[in-house]
This record gives sequence, C-alpha cells and structure tokens, in this order.
Amino acid sequence: MRNTAALAVFLIGITCASAPAWTAGSNQVVKLRRLSEQEYRNSIADIFGKDILVQGMFEPQIRISGLVATSTAVLSVTPAGFESFSKMADSIAIQATDEAHRGRLVSCSPRSAKAPDDACAGEFFSHYGFMLFRRPLTADERQARVNLARAMTRSSGDFYGGLRYGLAQMLQSPNFLFRKELAIGGKALRLEPYSRAARLSYLIWDTTPDAELLHAADTGELNTAAGMDQQVDRLLASPRLEAGMRAFFTDMLELDTFDTVSKDSLIFPKWSAAMALSAREETLRGAIDLTLHQNGDLRDLMTTRKTFINRNLAAIYDVDFSFDGEWMPLEFSPDSGRSGIVTQVSMLSMFSHPGQSSPTKRGVALMDIFLCEPTPTPPANVDFSVINETNGPLKTVRERLMAHATTPTCASCHTHSDPIGLSLEGFDTIGGRRLMENGQRIDLSATLQGKTFLDGPGLGRYLHDNPKFPACMARKLYAYAKGIDTEEVDASAFRTAYQAFADSGYRMRTLIKGLVESPEFFDTPAAVKEASARQQALR
Amino acid sequence: MRLRNCLLASTLVVACAAALAQPAAAAPWTRGFVVREYGFAFRYGGRPGVAETAPAADCARGSATHFNDEAEMRTALSRQPWRSKQEIESIIAPPGIEKARLPTYVRFYVWGRAVSYRGWRKGIETYINPFAAHDPGQPQVVSKISDGFDLDGNPKTGGFTSTGGIRGIDNALYRAWGCDAPFRNPASGTLDLRENTQMQEGLYTVVIRISGNQDPMNDNDATVEIGYSPDKIVRDARANVAPDYSYRIVKGEQYTRLKARIRNGVVETEQVDRLHVPRIGWFPDQMGDADFHRGRLSLTVDTDGRAASGFVGGYRNWLDLLAENTFAQTGAEQGIRDHEDAVGLYYALKRNADGMPDPRTGRNTGISMAYRIKAVPAHVVDPARPAQIRRLPADEERNRGFETVKAAMIRAVTTRTIQDVPLGTGEGQFPAMEKTIADLPSRDFFLKTLDAPGRLDENGNVVEPSPKPGRLSALRARQGN
Amino acid sequence: MPIHRRTVLHGMIQGSAAVMAVPFLDCFLDGKGQALAATGQRIPTRFSTFFFGLGLTTSLWVPKKAGLDYETTVQLKPLEPFKKKMNVFSGMRVMVDDNPNFQHWSGNAAIATGIAPTKVSQFDSKTIDQTIADAISRGTRYKSVAAAASGDPKHCYSSLGGANTLPAEPSPLSLYTRLFGPGFQDPSSGAWQPDPQVMLQQSVLSAVTDERRDFMRNLGAGDRARMEQYFTSVRDTERQMAAELQRPDVVAKVAIPAAPGEMPVNYALPNVRAVTPLMARLGALALATDQTRVFNLAISEPGSNIFVPGDPLGYHVTTHMEAIDPVLGYQPHVAQYNIYSMELLASVLKELDAIPEGDGTLLDHSLVFAYSDQSYAKIHAVDGIPIMLAGSASGRMKTGYHIAGGGNAVSRVGLTAMKAMGLSVDGWGKGSMETKSAYTELLA
Repeated sequence: MRNTAALAVFLIGITCASAPAWTAGSNQVVKLRRLSEQEYRNSIADIFGKDILVQGMFEPQIRISGLVATSTAVLSVTPAGFESFSKMADSIAIQATDEAHRGRLVSCSPRSAKAPDDACAGEFFSHYGFMLFRRPLTADERQARVNLARAMTRSSGDFYGGLRYGLAQMLQSPNFLFRKELAIGGKALRLEPYSRAARLSYLIWDTTPDAELLHAADTGELNTAAGMDQQVDRLLASPRLEAGMRAFFTDMLELDTFDTVSKDSLIFPKWSAAMALSAREETLRGAIDLTLHQNGDLRDLMTTRKTFINRNLAAIYDVDFSFDGEWMPLEFSPDSGRSGIVTQVSMLSMFSHPGQSSPTKRGVALMDIFLCEPTPTPPANVDFSVINETNGPLKTVRERLMAHATTPTCASCHTHSDPIGLSLEGFDTIGGRRLMENGQRIDLSATLQGKTFLDGPGLGRYLHDNPKFPACMARKLYAYAKGIDTEEVDASAFRTAYQAFADSGYRMRTLIKGLVESPEFFDTPAAVKEASARQQALR
Repeated sequence: MRLRNCLLASTLVVACAAALAQPAAAAPWTRGFVVREYGFAFRYGGRPGVAETAPAADCARGSATHFNDEAEMRTALSRQPWRSKQEIESIIAPPGIEKARLPTYVRFYVWGRAVSYRGWRKGIETYINPFAAHDPGQPQVVSKISDGFDLDGNPKTGGFTSTGGIRGIDNALYRAWGCDAPFRNPASGTLDLRENTQMQEGLYTVVIRISGNQDPMNDNDATVEIGYSPDKIVRDARANVAPDYSYRIVKGEQYTRLKARIRNGVVETEQVDRLHVPRIGWFPDQMGDADFHRGRLSLTVDTDGRAASGFVGGYRNWLDLLAENTFAQTGAEQGIRDHEDAVGLYYALKRNADGMPDPRTGRNTGISMAYRIKAVPAHVVDPARPAQIRRLPADEERNRGFETVKAAMIRAVTTRTIQDVPLGTGEGQFPAMEKTIADLPSRDFFLKTLDAPGRLDENGNVVEPSPKPGRLSALRARQGN
Repeated sequence: MPIHRRTVLHGMIQGSAAVMAVPFLDCFLDGKGQALAATGQRIPTRFSTFFFGLGLTTSLWVPKKAGLDYETTVQLKPLEPFKKKMNVFSGMRVMVDDNPNFQHWSGNAAIATGIAPTKVSQFDSKTIDQTIADAISRGTRYKSVAAAASGDPKHCYSSLGGANTLPAEPSPLSLYTRLFGPGFQDPSSGAWQPDPQVMLQQSVLSAVTDERRDFMRNLGAGDRARMEQYFTSVRDTERQMAAELQRPDVVAKVAIPAAPGEMPVNYALPNVRAVTPLMARLGALALATDQTRVFNLAISEPGSNIFVPGDPLGYHVTTHMEAIDPVLGYQPHVAQYNIYSMELLASVLKELDAIPEGDGTLLDHSLVFAYSDQSYAKIHAVDGIPIMLAGSASGRMKTGYHIAGGGNAVSRVGLTAMKAMGLSVDGWGKGSMETKSAYTELLA
C-alpha cells in the first residue's frame, strides 16, 4: 500500500508536463470516448466528494451491437447536450468553491480573498486539471486558466469567483467530457500510460483514475508488466470493483432498457416504476454476489436458484418478504419454475409488450445478450395480424406465433430466436408465473440448435452448458473495455484471456485480469482501421 | 378429494380427521390477507348509487339530519330552557357577520360553541357530559336483516336475521347507529369513506393469517390470526390495494389467535372472551384496540384464495365507541359537518346496550356489533426483528389529548358528576372561537353569552386554567382539518 | 442603441470599478451589436401558476374521452374558449409513501414539488415555479412575482423549500406598486442593462473554444467530425448567451395603466371575482414588459374559505357538511363553488390571451400551471386532483388534450411542464413519485 502523504505531495507537486506525449505530432488518438452519465457522476464524486450535487440532463445513449459502451466512441455532443453540460459545470464549480467546500477543496489560501493570486490559482488548476483531464496540464493549458481566473477575479472582486469560472471551464472542456486514448507511434501503437490508467480505471471501477493510478502512470510503472500487474491486482482487490462490474452488467444485460419499459396498468396493475427499479437491482445484486462476492462460476448465473429480493419483488414472485432490511437473500424452491437470470422479473419484463409476453422479443434479446447471436430485423411488409388476434381460435401466444412463423420469409428468423422465448411463456409480461393462458395449458418445450429443453430452468441449463455463453461474455467485456463493436472483435484478441477464464472455472476476476494484461489490450496494430461503415452511418 | 368427501359426508368429524391424520399432517398450509375495507357492519338498505340520506328499508325516514340547517339548529338550541329566543336567533344568524373577514368560520365556531353547551343549565360541556343534556333523538334501524353474529347463542335475542338465514343476530350497534348519516352507506357515507381512505393511505394496516393442516377450503384444525401490521398498505397502479405483498403481523395488544373450522371456504372461529383487533379510525388520535368481548370472526375465502370477506364482532364497551367517534375531531365539528349528534348517539347506545352487564349495577356496559372486512391475498409474516406500530411523535401527542378527553367523559357518565372539558385537547379548543369572532361587530354579545371552556383576561389572554403548552401543536394541527 | 462596455461593466459587478479586458468582449463589441442582432431576438417563454382550493367534482369535470377533441364537461365549460390552448390532466395520483396524508396540504405540496411533504405546511424542496425561475428569469427585475386574490400574503405556494413561502402581494394596489411603482423601468425607455453574469459565462465558453486547435491534434477523421460537432454546440450556446445580452424584445404593445384604487380584497366571491382578473392583468403586463417571467396567483388557500355572500357555510365547510344529493349523485353547492374556481381560471387566461405578442399572444408564449389541493374534498382524497396546463410555451407544448392519468404520479405533469419550459432536467420527484417520464406526446 502506498503512502498517502507521499501521494498528496505528488498531487500538489504536479505542475505541468515537461515533454508531454499528448502534444507530440506523430502520435495518434486511437479512441475518443464520451463519458457516460455514470462515469461522469462517479468522476465528480471521486474528485470533489459525494456531497457535490450533479443535477441535469445527460444526452441519450444508443446501443451498438449489444453495448452502449460502444456508442461512447461514436457519439458527440449536441447543442442541447452541451447547454446541459455547461450548466452542470457551472453548478459543480459554484459548489466546489463555495464557503462550505472551499476549505476542503481549495488547498491554498489566496493572499487576499478579493484579489487575484496567480500562484494559488495555478496550484488549484494544476491539481483539478490533473484529476479532471486524467493527465497533467501543459504549461499553456495551466496558464490559460490562471489568466481566465485573474480576469474573472478582477471583474467580480472575488478570488474564489475566479476559481469558479476557471473550474467551470475545465468541467465543460472536451478534455474532461471525452476520454482521449492516445497511442505512441512506432511499429505498433502503444497506449501511453495516462490513457492506460484511464482505460483500466473506467473498466474496473467505472470512474476516473485515482491518485495512485495516476502516479503509476507518471512514474512509468504502467509501462512495465510488473507495475501493471500490481495496479491491476490493486484495482481488482478493491470493493470498488463492484461499481465497475455493475456498470458492465447493466450494459451487457441491457438493464437500461427499463428506462423505457411501460406496462398496461389495466391488465398488470402490479407493475410500477418502483418495480422496474427493484427488478434491475435484483439482477445486479445477484450477478455481483455470484461473480464477485462468492467468486463463483459465471455460468451459474443461468442456473442458480439464489437471488435477492425486496418487498416489491416478493409480491411478483409470490413469496414472503422478511422485512429484515430492504433486501433479503432468497433461494427459490425447486418447484418454483425459477432458476437463473432468464427467469428473473428483469429479463422477462424488459423484453415483452406492455400487455402481453413476447416470445420473439425475449428470444431475440436473449440470443443477442447471452450468445452474441443477433437476429436480423424483420422485413418491412410483415403481417402481424395473426399474432395480435387474441380473441380468435388460437388461444396461446405459441399457437398464434407458430401460425405466423410458418410463412417462409419469417420462418428462418423465428426458428432462430423463438425457441428461447417459447420456453419462457410460463411467465407473463411482468414476470409473474402462469401455467395457463386463456384457459389452455401452456406448452413450455423448445428445441434450439438441436437441443430440446423445457421451461425457464431448462433454458438456463441449456445456456449454462453452451460454450457460446462464456465466450460471448468475454467478447462483450473486451468490446466494453475498449469501446469497440462486439461484432468487430477478432476472437484471437481475447483467446488467451478466455483460456485463463475457462481454466479458472469461469471466474470474473480472472477474465478481467486476463483481458487487461494480454498484450493486445493496450497495443494496436499500426494501421488503425477507420470507423466502420456502420459507425459512419450512425453519425 | 377423498378427504373432502369424508368431511362433507360425515358429521363425525373427529373420527374422520383421526382416520386421515396422516395426509392431513402432511399438508400444512397458510393463507394471508390484508384488509382493504374495514368499517361498521351496517347493512345499507338503499339502492346502490343513492345518497346516504334517503329513506330506505333500513331507515324509514332516511338518516339523521342534526344541525343540518337553521331550522335544525333552532330545534337543537330550543331544548335548553335557559336560552332566550334572542340568544338562539343571534347564534343562528350572528348580527353583523357580513362584516367579518371569515364569516363562514365565524358562524361555524359560534354554532360549534353553542351546540357544545346544551346541558340542563349553563356551563355544562355537552360532549363530556352527554347525560346532562336532553336526548335529541336518533332514528333507529327498522330492518330485520343484519350482518354480524348470534353472539349469545340465542336465536330469540338480537332481533335480526342474517342474509344466510341465521336468526338471532346480535348487532345492536347497527340498530342504534345504523341511520347515522356518515356511516350509513359504505359507498358514500363520509366517515366510512374517510376511514377507508385513510387506512389505504397508510394510517393503519390490518392483516389476517389463516393456517391449517388439511385443506384451505375444508379444515377442522385451522388457526386464524388477526392483528396490526406496521407495514403500509401497498396500492397498485390503479390505486386498488395490491395483492401478494408481504406484511408483518405484530403480536401486540391488537393481536388475536383463534382456533377455527373451515367448511367450503367459510372460516368460522371459536368465540373467545377477549378478541383484540385494530379498531376503525380516520385520525391517529382514535387508533387503538377494539377489544371485543365474546368475540368471533367469520370469513369467506374464494376457492383460489384471491379474495376474502366477512366480519369480526363481539360486544364492545359502548362508552369507548362513543368516545372514539365523538372525539375524532370535536363533538361540535363532527356534529355540524356530518350531521350527527353525539348526545343522540349516547342515548341510542344506552337504550340498545345488550351485553357486558356491570356486576354491581346490572347495567349493560357493552353493545353487540361487528366490523365488516374485505381483504386481498397477502404474505403475512412474523417480524424478523421486534416491530412496533408506526406512530409519529405528533400522533402520540394527539392520542394523549384524545385519552384525556375520553377519560373525562367516562368519569362524567359513570359518576354522573359534571366534568370540565380538559383545555388544550381537541374538545377543549380555546380560545379558537374567541379569536375567530374578533372582528365580528356582535362579538361582545357572544363573549358574554356563550359558555367557554376557559377564561380570558382583558387583554384576551387565557387566564385559567391555562392550556398545557405541549397540546397546542396538536390543536393547531387539528385546525387545518 | 449599442451597449457600451464601459457603462455595462462599471459598477455593475458588485461595485467593482475594474474594466474587463478579455478578448470575448472585443469580439462582442466589434460588430456594435449587429452580429448579435442577426441571431434574432426572442420572445421569452413565461411560466405562471394558478392555485385553487378544494378541487372539482370528479363526475362533473373529468371528460370521458381522452386525447384531442374530448367533450366539454359541465365544470370545464368556463374554460371552453381556451380548450384548444390548454391541456387537462385527470386521474393523476399523489403517492404519500411513508408520509402522512396531510389534509389540504399533501396534494398541493406534492404537485408543486413532486415530493410528498414530510411536514404539514412545509415543502420538501423548491417549488416548480422557482426551479423554472432559476432557469428562465436570468436578467429580469424580479425572479418571480406572486399575488393572492383573497388578500392574504400567505396564500402563495411558491417556496425555496421548507416552511417559508415567498410572500404574495395581497391587493391589486400593492401588486401594481411593486411592479410599476418606483424602480420600474420600461424596457423601451433605453435604460435596460444586460446581466453581467451572462458575460462572464460567455468568456468561459470562449475559453472552451480556445482549446479547439490543441484538442483536434492527432484525431482521426471520424473523431475529428465528432469534435467539430462538439465545438459547433459550444458556439450555439455562445450565440444563445449573446442573445440574452440583447435588450429583451418587448413586442407587446402595452401601456401601463394608472394605479388601481383601494378595493376590498377578501374571501367574498364578488370581490375575488373583481380582484382576480385585475391581478392577472397586472401580472400579464409585468410578463409582457419582462419585469419577471414567473407569475404566481392563488385565489385562496387550500381548503378555500371563499364564500358566496348569504351562504352561511362557505366553500370549505360546505365540502364537509353538504350531503350528496340523492338524485344528482354529487354535492350541488360544492359543484357550484367548483365552477367558480374554473371561471376565475378562465378570467386569468383571458387576460394573458388579450396581450398580442409576435404572431400570437402572451398566453401562447406562456405555460400556466393550474392545480388544486384535493380531488374529493369531502374526504380529503388526493387521487385525481385536477391539473391544467394552459398556453403552448412558445410552441413547445402541444395543446388541446385531455390526459387521463390512469393513476400515474402527479410529478409527470410537473416534469412535462419543466421540459416544455426548456429546462434540462431528466427526472423529477421523490419516492414513488420520482419519474423520468414526461408526457412526451405533448412536447413539440
């Protein structure tokens, strides 16, 4: 463990870089990633403290090949988005320099509270510039803020007013809002150490690099295998790994879908916004507990009957809630029809219609999420009338779907994705269990890629035993970490890491460590591909 | 199936249960419910959708209309021989009221103060000392059909028959109060609606747990628990009480465990000397134990267990009932707003009391009654850690005020000695009227003529007895109602 | 008349005599304001609230049809002239969670803050009008102005949180004096001065733009295009600020009338009826001349004491005392009082709609948030409290709809209003009323 006093000295000692890599002309920015809302919030909380309020609208994100993280390397900032960033920046800067916080957040005292003090302002901007930009400021960058603060102090007659405007400027600077990953030229492009620190930190902790990691970048430690190993171990050993993996699971399991899920309150009055939040939290808690707290086999996510519920979820699962805290562990009974993540309220309700379940939506989503097998979009002229006719002779969703899926143009896709969804028909659109539909017993059997299984637990076992599932997880984590398109990840890029993952019995920490310590993780072949045609189209 | 046939066919239940002891023991079951509707078991005789005031089979002349208008007020005030005609007319239409900033409140408070002093002489607070006022009369239920129980096991007493044909139903409270406007129709009676709304908004929660060892629809060895839950009722997106939520049951003073038998989904409990359940209420002041004597419970559960309805009843001390209703706010407020007269209710209770005879005097201190229950399925669980009834500090304060007033009323009635109204309590609001009429031109007349719970000095400050400061906030909280 | 930087800076920023000499100001002044004039002056969007006590009668006001072209109900009849210019919300719920349902308070506070109050007569956060004022009232003389039509300055449900409410002007005369008495400067008289805060913010943006050259270095073509978009967004925001430095475009042709005389202001309905439109007219003039952009008007407290002379009970007591008419199925006198509330709301909208502005009226450039404290006052119910949003917020709010809330949280209306007012908020409210779902179908 590093001495915190030494770190403090290091942070204060940061002035500006002597020969900064990021100004050299021959290098290349290999990735430019806009901070996500959570990354922004976590970074502000870490740099300024949790009592600094961040209030405002963040620009919507999009999902590309199953990951929102990929879109951070594609999206820019719109005028409305910038206006919001600008207001948030000012609000954070006001708070950080107000009387309640300046004692803690401003390390030096000005000669006079009413006059400019370039030395103190310089110290302030060096420190926060370093933390916010995740690298030291150049002498010019530092001087520009000092000048701005001086002018602002003069106009307002308030030293801290000068700091406020200078800080607000940094908070809306592209250097903060975007993570610039810079590689040093040569035969292969090697990520420079500060970019490595940021990539590690946002992957593992979902936040900005801490002082120790930045220090390791500063000293060049991160360029050595031993130094890297030491830092990776430190990051993985911290409880903050949980935040990092929560962010990953949220993205990978598409839990942000809940923001737009709505249910028909006439048919399913039990559904509420609170239920959606509860369901999302259940899935995250369960995934974190199994993969990190228990250090379990990731594949068991598909079969475990253990979960965590609150009072809301207990009402859908129709079990007792203990009231011993907000959340309680629960092990479903063997005859509950529930085991694994695919039988949780979250997965069942997110991929359904407002008023009825949808085997197709569930099938398409789960194939993509867990097996990295996207289903092509349906043709534009598709006829859905059979499926939607609930008062006709076809009682169950399966019967109506089958009638529709026999159309030759539809059959190939439905054969691909529907079986998964049909095995989950024992759950309604809010994830409640049912055995009958319109008075008829529901058929829960399914055959997928030559394997036959029955109901949700059967689907879970199928996925558990399917090697494509852990491989898909490894692929997604790799794409998530680097901000690239899942479909464009070459299997060779994570082969070593995947082997270690499999050898360890599919332990999450092993996968992370294997990925970040594989040589490909920070190095890029010299000819960096331009953005794909798909990414171009999104712009 | 065999079990059920056996139970249905045989009257020798004991022998049957013994013969099938093995499968019965193998299937313990539990069903829980949270009460979504709770109120007096007053069988409304009118058509649905028609207001509570109209005449119908239960109340031949409709509901009570006390203090409804100026004529009713004149009748009420004329019963006090010590009031002059001029005084009565001035109260009914306070001179110069149009010049007051808050004319409606001036009248409300003047009327309120006047009806609060209707004793045989001046200076007797009526709601604390109802025995000292003339009976204004209370229309009684004339119907012969009633919900509830045959509590004394005697089909010849009680005078009501249930809709299921059981004779001798004892529900004397229905006869006494069933034509009281705010309780007459569950769909529109103000206090019925109010207490159910407040319960659903979280004032209190009643839960029931039924368990047994045979079959939820037919079980000779079932147990019923009823009690208070500290967990608020959860309502769904359509504002109905949501089913399947979990609730803790608190085994405190409002908890009872009863043996029961179930036949075709009808749960009938044993009759016990003391049955404790939460009582109905719409203010925190009133909340507490219903304390039934010779109480029992009956509940009909649907085959799928998705709904339950029924009754819990017994004899209750009728002075408790009077206090809970009268001092929810103040006797006057309740009277003028909801057209009920607590004096009339007092005499009606006294006339109809039919149980719990005082061993010394032989007078009935109790009255037969029941609460109706409608419930939805819930998970009723024992608390993991000691749980208490939820109550805010301000509620405690109001509850203390309520208990003080109640004690004074009971002392007055049982000893037949006139009691003062305790100041600083809800009933003893002072000088609320004096402040309200400050800008009334005829103010001095009312200050001189009307009785008051306390005295003011020449500067308008309360002199004697001064209200306890702690009660003032409760008082203020009340004025917003 | 061009703005002179020295006059602007001298004495405006906390009395400092210093003159700013940062580059942006030179840019700003180079064109003597012409460049900015080209960006177009905007008519600001204003926000008003209208509070009425004791709700309406559900069976008489809620239209059966939802969406556009809903039928005009008995109690919405007074608002018929404005039907196409407003939206009505029925069936919205106040969810108190673990807090008590404070009678006549919880509904009011929850609608105004999105949070069920934990204490009676207190707000658990800033009220919606103040949140909106933070965003839109920069540079106006008053952040917000309030008036109480039954004469009690406490009848104002605008607060920065806690028990304090911003005091309301209790008479037309006091409202007039505040707005148009000493200190009033007609924006067309030439004395208008820009907000110095805006200029400081502008220089911050200018410093962001200065980073462009460095930041673009080493970027690939794709990322370069993304950053072009980012810096374009920065410039858009700068332009918007430049517009704020312009004298407000007071296009309304209004004349400030003489001060109103003393008049009785109390709960008697005839007086409330005389005072309400007069206060609304003064408020409208204040909005039109950009004295403020937020105007709050309450015709009474929750649990209204308004009375018709000769009615010994008055509104509040009637809601509790009056029996439901066996034939009609509702409380007839209460229903009549409900209609008075809607007539008063109509009289306010009429005043806003009477001032022409640009190609519409002041009402078209406003959003009026009207709401109450109870739905069924007889039993203090808070489910289905009537809420209306009038005016199209300069075209950002689609109007003419009846939204059948179906048990949704009341906070969705507040969030929708804030979004229509152009606030960048993603969510609003707390507990069960926390929402991120505005009625986006109403947002243009």
